Amino acid sequence: MQAQSSLEFTFTKNQILIKNDKLQKGRILVFKGEISEDKLNSSTPILGKTLKTDNGILFIPVVPFGWSQKYTLVYNHIIEYFKLTIPDSYESLSVTEIYPSAPILPSNLLKLYIRFSRPINTTFVYDHIRFINVVGDTLPRTILPLENPLISDDRTLLTLWIEPGRQKRGLGPNKQLGPVFNKETYRLIVTKDIKDNNGVSMQEDFIHSFSIGNTDRIKPTIDDWKIDIPEINSISKLLIECSESIDYGSIQDNIHIIDNSMQEIKGTWQLLEEETILSFQPREPWKKGNYQILCNPEIEDLAGNNLSRLFDKEIKNSSNEESINQKYSLRFTIN
Amino acid sequence: MKTLITFIISLILSFFVNNAQANSILKANFKTGNPGITSIHKMTFGPEGILFIGDSNAAQIVAVDLSEHPKLDNSKVKLDQLDKLIADMMGTTIDQIQITDMVVNPENDNIYLSINHSSGVPILLRVEDNVLKQVPLDNVSYSKTTLLNPVTEEAQDRRGRKLRKWAVADIKYMEGKVLLSGLSNQEFASTFRSIDFPFIEKQNYSSLEIYHAAHGKYETHAPIKAFIPTNINGNPHVVAGYTCTPLVVFPMNEIKPGEHNKGRTVAELGSGNSPIDMIEIENEGSRYLLIANSNRPLMKMDFKDLEAYEGSLTTPVSKKGAAVGVDYVNLPFVNVQQLDKLGDSFLMVQRESNGNLALKTGNSWWVK
Repeated sequence: MQAQSSLEFTFTKNQILIKNDKLQKGRILVFKGEISEDKLNSSTPILGKTLKTDNGILFIPVVPFGWSQKYTLVYNHIIEYFKLTIPDSYESLSVTEIYPSAPILPSNLLKLYIRFSRPINTTFVYDHIRFINVVGDTLPRTILPLENPLISDDRTLLTLWIEPGRQKRGLGPNKQLGPVFNKETYRLIVTKDIKDNNGVSMQEDFIHSFSIGNTDRIKPTIDDWKIDIPEINSISKLLIECSESIDYGSIQDNIHIIDNSMQEIKGTWQLLEEETILSFQPREPWKKGNYQILCNPEIEDLAGNNLSRLFDKEIKNSSNEESINQKYSLRFTIN
Repeated sequence: MKTLITFIISLILSFFVNNAQANSILKANFKTGNPGITSIHKMTFGPEGILFIGDSNAAQIVAVDLSEHPKLDNSKVKLDQLDKLIADMMGTTIDQIQITDMVVNPENDNIYLSINHSSGVPILLRVEDNVLKQVPLDNVSYSKTTLLNPVTEEAQDRRGRKLRKWAVADIKYMEGKVLLSGLSNQEFASTFRSIDFPFIEKQNYSSLEIYHAAHGKYETHAPIKAFIPTNINGNPHVVAGYTCTPLVVFPMNEIKPGEHNKGRTVAELGSGNSPIDMIEIENEGSRYLLIANSNRPLMKMDFKDLEAYEGSLTTPVSKKGAAVGVDYVNLPFVNVQQLDKLGDSFLMVQRESNGNLALKTGNSWWVK
């Protein structure tokens, strides 16, 4: 095979177009890397489709071409090399939010959420996340490694379980290694080698410091929640002051407001002030009447205790305290 | 004349084949098109070449008809540097891909690998003559069902992003039911679901609360990492493996939705470990349970020992790293990342001690 002449072609992340080719035949082969002619036969071509269009011949790879990755294009005995460069305007991946956001967290903390600015590559994601103590040592076995990490649909919100086997009393890991955190200060590090969906890394490590306080073995109780009632005919926010930080994930879709005719009030919920305040912004102005805030018993505090049970309840006094006099709704009136 | 006879015979044969297809009750509501698979996390084969795909991103189970793939002899399959090979096929690097599962269709010994790429594109590959080929999923005969509770509206935050997730940990098929274990990002609970198949529009599924034995004072309802439906002493059971690594049996007949179902812990397979895959192999009248692990070798347990074990472990193992309960043997395969049955033997994706990631068969001698 001889590189007879050059090809007129354009490429983007999603396709290669060989323009106005008179022959309109032959298969486009694309290889990862710069492959010399003598190595082509022993190389594996990239999966993709070749299509004929009015503008020329298209090659569409099954997954988009990567930035900064060299490729070899072979068509009608002509070999070309190409590489996509990262645009100057490219906004690199960063961490935008961490839940819980409070500076002091319970020692039996169960979940942590990391919000990224762009969709992330979840492959080997746990390799990029670690906790470091004051002297700079990385803590072992802190995060439950899941084969399929819990990532939101848009792949920007990652849920981490702090090793439940260590956080829950009586289990093997807890007995052998103890709980994950002591009453100290720690740093959560997301290392800069974590990549986004285009294979581009963060520019610098993300560091989030927090301290560990007391263990939380008390169920959250909605009777302790204080409601700041909004004004009639306004779309001002209804604020619920919880007595502690609420788990970000468990509140989603688990709290609703209904009116007297059992119709749900449409609006948007938000967690404010270190997730201690629940804020509800209605779509329509508040009307005079009686309302109920319905809470799913699965709403949790930061230690996995929910409205109906403790995360690691002691078996002997279990059933009595559950299910009796449990109340999962709050009432308020707008006059 | 010969041609005419051949034609008539092939016509008769094709009638039977088509008739068998048309009469398939399981595929009666299948339609052809793009099922909209957004991720492939776990897979399992049901009867008639139906592949069940657990798609955590779209919170759905998709049943795809793959019965048209021809019967293959994969008994000598061996693919080295599997991760590099797949990365090259996708024009990407190893750190951008994840081999999420590997399954074998027991009816024709076809091997399938599912891959998720960092761009979010899921890929299904099939092995033919020791070569990987893509199985397009944009025009297939399929049926699907959602995993989301249809009663509640999907939670969205202020920018319209969906927040509720349910990640499939394992999926298996047994007698008209798709069984699933998984974990949500809301509650650390053992979610075990049973979905009737064929799927119907108004899907009823049972969400089962199953617990493994109390470790001393504290009860746990951790999620099941890997399981198989099977028969123990003639009765249908689920054998479930949890992180760190209790093996628990649940009688299927006793698992009722909405009830607190407590299993019997029959073995503790050692701490610092998590089960990855479980299979059952039957050979010459003996049945074996094979368990692939994150930090322990491939384990083989004889069903005779499992069936004979009547105890229930309730206290944590005191000797560090030790195993107790039903006896098992460690097979000489470490870092087995994927495992399935292939004929009378087993197939693995294994990270070998020299670093090579290999797709290869185990010798059936080990399970005889």
